Order: sequence, then C-alpha cells, then structure tokens
Amino acid sequence: MRIIVILGRVLDPSGIAVNRRVGRIFINREEYVLQPADRCALEAALQVKDAAGAEVVALPRGPLPDDDVLRQALATGADRAIYLAGDGFKGADDGVMVRVLAAAVERLGGTDLVLTGATTMDTGQGQLGPRLAEALGCPQIINAWQVSVTDGKVRAVLQQAADYVAVEAGLPAVVTMLPGALRLRYPDGVRLVNVYKGVGEIAEALERWDVADLVDADGLRPLLERRGRDFPPERERGSRVTGTPQDMAQAAANALQQRMGR
Amino acid sequence: MDFAFSPEHVALRRMIREFAENEVAPIAAEIDRDHRVPFETMRKLGEIGLLGVCFPQEYGGMGAGEMGYCILMEELNRVCTSTGTNVGAHIGIGAMVIHLDGNEEQKRKYLTPLSRGEKIAAFGLTESGAGSDAAAIRTRAVREGDSWILDGGKVFITNGGYADIVTVLAVTDPTLGGRGGITAFVVETDWEGFRVAREEDKMGIRGTSTAELVFEELRVPHENVLGKVGEGFIPFMKSLDMGRLTLGAACIGGAEMALESAVRWAKIRKQFGQELAHKQSVQWKIANMATEIEALRSLVYRVAWLVDTGQPFTQLAAMCKLYGSEVASRAIDMALQIHGGLGFSRDFPLERGFRDARIGEIYEGTSEVQRIVIASNIFREHSVRIRP
Repeated sequence: MRIIVILGRVLDPSGIAVNRRVGRIFINREEYVLQPADRCALEAALQVKDAAGAEVVALPRGPLPDDDVLRQALATGADRAIYLAGDGFKGADDGVMVRVLAAAVERLGGTDLVLTGATTMDTGQGQLGPRLAEALGCPQIINAWQVSVTDGKVRAVLQQAADYVAVEAGLPAVVTMLPGALRLRYPDGVRLVNVYKGVGEIAEALERWDVADLVDADGLRPLLERRGRDFPPERERGSRVTGTPQDMAQAAANALQQRMGR
Repeated sequence: MDFAFSPEHVALRRMIREFAENEVAPIAAEIDRDHRVPFETMRKLGEIGLLGVCFPQEYGGMGAGEMGYCILMEELNRVCTSTGTNVGAHIGIGAMVIHLDGNEEQKRKYLTPLSRGEKIAAFGLTESGAGSDAAAIRTRAVREGDSWILDGGKVFITNGGYADIVTVLAVTDPTLGGRGGITAFVVETDWEGFRVAREEDKMGIRGTSTAELVFEELRVPHENVLGKVGEGFIPFMKSLDMGRLTLGAACIGGAEMALESAVRWAKIRKQFGQELAHKQSVQWKIANMATEIEALRSLVYRVAWLVDTGQPFTQLAAMCKLYGSEVASRAIDMALQIHGGLGFSRDFPLERGFRDARIGEIYEGTSEVQRIVIASNIFREHSVRIRP
C-alpha cells in the first residue's frame, strides 16, 4: 500500500507577537513549522503504516522555498519524500498545485490513499484535498478525526457539532485531517540527524523533481491573478460608556436608538 | 566565523523544545512536590534517541555531538532542572566515561543500552572525605584473580538510587594516589555487595535521586576496568570537564525561564497606574539578565564547538560552569524580586527555580573549584604551578 501525505509549513506562532493597539503582527523570530493539520495527516499516515504496513511518501503543499517539511517527515518516519520545484511553480495557485500534485501521483505509479490537512493555520485554506480528489477521480473524506484502513477500505471518524460520524470509502481515496485530531509522535533522533546532515540511507530517500517534467506550461499557468491589495474601509470607532451599570445600560440604549434613527 | 547552528541542530532544538513543553513541563511542579524521579520521562527520552544525543550512532547514539547535548540540556532545564539533572548525570558523566575511555566490548555492552535509555547510569566519584579534593578517595579495589574486590562507598551520587550501571573510581595502589593509583570500573548495581544506603532529602532538584552507595566485597570482573589499571582519574576528570560545559548550557535554560517569566509578568502587572515594564528599576534588571544570558550563550556554544572540533577546552568549560551557575542564580533572584510576593509563593515556578538554581554553584565542582581550575590554567601558562 502506498500513502501520500501532502505537507505545508506555517510561521511558528510562538515567534509572532500581535499588537492589537496598532493592529499589526510583529515577527520576532522567523521560523517555520509544519502546518498543524498536515502534521496530523502525517501522523495518520504513520499510524496506518504501523497497523497495516505501507510506504509513506511525503509531497510539499505547493511551492516551498526549502525542503524542511519533507526532512521533518522523513525524520518522523516517512519512507520517501519528493521536493517539487522549478521555474513557474513559484506563483502557483491551488489549481496549479493540484495539477502538479496529481501529475506527481501519476508519475509515482498511483496511490492507495492521500492524506493532508483539512485546513491551513495561516490562510485557512481547505480546498487542496477536495480538489485533488476531483483531479484524481477518487472519493474524498474531509475533516477527519481518525483514520484507519481495513479490507481495502478507508474508514474515518468525522467530528460534528454534537457527535461523531463514521464513514468509509473505497481505495484510492483522499482524506483531510483536522488539526489537533491525533496525538503526535516525535521524530526519531538518529533519522533526524542523518536526514538534516544529508548522510546515510535516509538522505537518499529525499528526491527533487522538476515540475516542468510533470506538467506543461499551460498546467503551470495560474487561474488566479493578483492585481493588488485592498482593505475594507476602517470601521468607525465606538464610544465608551461609564458609570453605574444602570447608567451604562441607559447610555448604550440611547446610543442604539440614535443609531437606528428613532 | 560562522555563528549559525547547523540545520540538524536547529531541527533538534525544535524537537527537544516540543518534547520539553509537552512531556516535561506539565509534571515539573509535581515531581518537585512529591520528590519523585520521573522514570517515564527518561524512558520517553530514550525511545526517541535523546539519551544518546552525543554518542556515536554505532553505539545506539544520535551523533549530534556536544553541540546537540548542550541544546538538550538548555531546553530541558528551561522547563525542569530536576529532569535536566537526571539526564545530565546519566549522559554527561555516568555514560560519558564509558564513551571516553571504554573499549569496543564495553561500549557495545554498556554504552548502547545507555544511549537508548534501556539502562540508566550514575557517576561514582564523590566520597564523604573526597568532595572538591577528588583524588582523596578511599574506596579500595584489590585484585583477586580475574576480578577486583571493591570495598568502600560513595556519597551524593545523582541517579544513585535507581541506576543500573555506575562508573566507579577506586584506589588500586594507595602509594601512588591520583598519579597512577586510581582505577575506573563499570559496576552493575544488581551485583552482590552493592547497596544503596540512603537518599538525600534536598533543598532543590527534588525530582532527582541523590544517594549514598555502599560497596561490600563487591566483585567486579577485570574486563570491567575502564581504560588502564591505575589511570582512571584522567578520564573521570575529562568527563567532568565536559559536564561543566553542559551545566553551563543547563544554566542558560534556567536563566531563560526566569527572564521569560519576568518579562511576561512585567507586561501585565500594574502598580502606581503603570505596568512594571515602564519602571526603570525593572527595565534594568531585565536588561542585565538578558545581557548576561547572551554572554553565557556565546561562551557555552563556542566551547561546544571547540569540543566537537577536538580543541582544548578545560579552562573554558570551568568558566561555563562558574559563570553559568552565577548567571542563573542571579537571573532567578531578579525574576523572583520582580514577581514580588507571588514569586515567593509555590503557585509560581520561580520558587522552585530559586531552590533548584542553588545547586548549580555546588555540584560537579563548586564555584571555588572552578576558580582554582581557571587560575591554575592561567598560572601554568606562566610556569607557576599552584596547589589548591
């Protein structure tokens, strides 16, 4: 069985300070960590591997400036990782990402299961999994809390508002994991040192593919074009009411009445 | 000159910090309160390879060097000095002697399970009559055929109460003393004649075991002699040199914890209508703490680099421990002062940090001994041999 995990990165939130007064985010320490939901996807893949045996292959969530997330995946137990880079991949939108990833899956000779995060921590992006499932023509399970593979089927538990729902799908399938769903394992020390030093067997498990070999120029053309940035107009500042609770309630009621034109 | 950590050390720090925050920090107050050694933490550290962080991969280690080991000590001590001490006694001195002076067979037999945390090590040097004056030990080892018979005892042995393996220094020729009369042995604690006499009730690092060990006609096979007969003192002193460096790294962690805590508190605590952050008396304390921590960090990681590149470091390692333990004590003292009454309360971790920091100036060579080491190295360069 082959499991593909798609992993992205996010600025380490502990290195960021938010100043609400000036409405700005300050980056004190620019370090990146695995997207928390993607890390759950990696953990889910390794759990399936532990239970049923599988080859876990890590791919990047779109164009990344370095292969750090893939090295982390190898250190944690992935068997193989493929860094995707090349001219024209940098400005990729979700459409390009999906085309490139689908082509990479095909070049790998197909897959039984694709796992990735249900959402990204920074941009709240949740469409990669579903769109990739469409491109691969296979069923999708999104927002999973638990995943297992038995008898050629993937079973997942989804968390709903008040309860859990168990679903299953035939393989191959795409499953997206919620952040915080699983208890995560730590990397293995020896694998970590070797994969970052670039020595031993594990270092050879990290490959680099050029996206130009996977899709043609049309495939790399983003549908999304960024023409500029605009922000919604700044909201009017509210006013502060003071005094006893009764005074404040009265003042708030008066202000509301005035606002509503009564 | 390149001051950047290598990619593997950056990744290692990220992994250790996560481990420390998830597995060590949540139980730090509890193990201190209950005077409990966190065996589960040692097991988990062993499983992911961290107890062999600086040992070669062929003996179950991780191969991350002294640099990696310093990172481990900094990050563990940032959240729990007891855990840092257990790990330090195990890796930094107990197992380190086997790494430095063991033969192939001994490393395979002992260093491998120690690296994986399947066995825990302690370092048996100190005796009731031999503290700072380490060469004054009295534990006796007498050759009897293919083995040695050990009689005597050790005190203040960290991990002593539960270690599986203790590296022990004993006198094999009383006429020669420290110059050719002291031999190092690897002792397994389930051998007949080995006994834990008592455990200390301590002011700080209460999540550690500090034990008195007694050897009564303890039979040690000759193959368990570390290095050459009569030459055990040097590797023990060399382990202590490395231990001093990593204690310096541990102190960065303790001092960082104090600084972070003080900054967090100064940001929210208001007096006289203003947050403490705006008071110069607090700002200066914070500035002093941060400056000393950065100076210590530069010293420690430079010395780690010296060790990993095979350069001399004895004098600088003594400086790491001397300066480090004093920086940590000062930082925690200042942080506690900034917290006022709450700093004195057991509800805040500074009270524990304050008690834990004190041992830094005592164990593995007191501050006085570090000054002797530093001064004697300086005077030796001027052909003056000083006697302690």
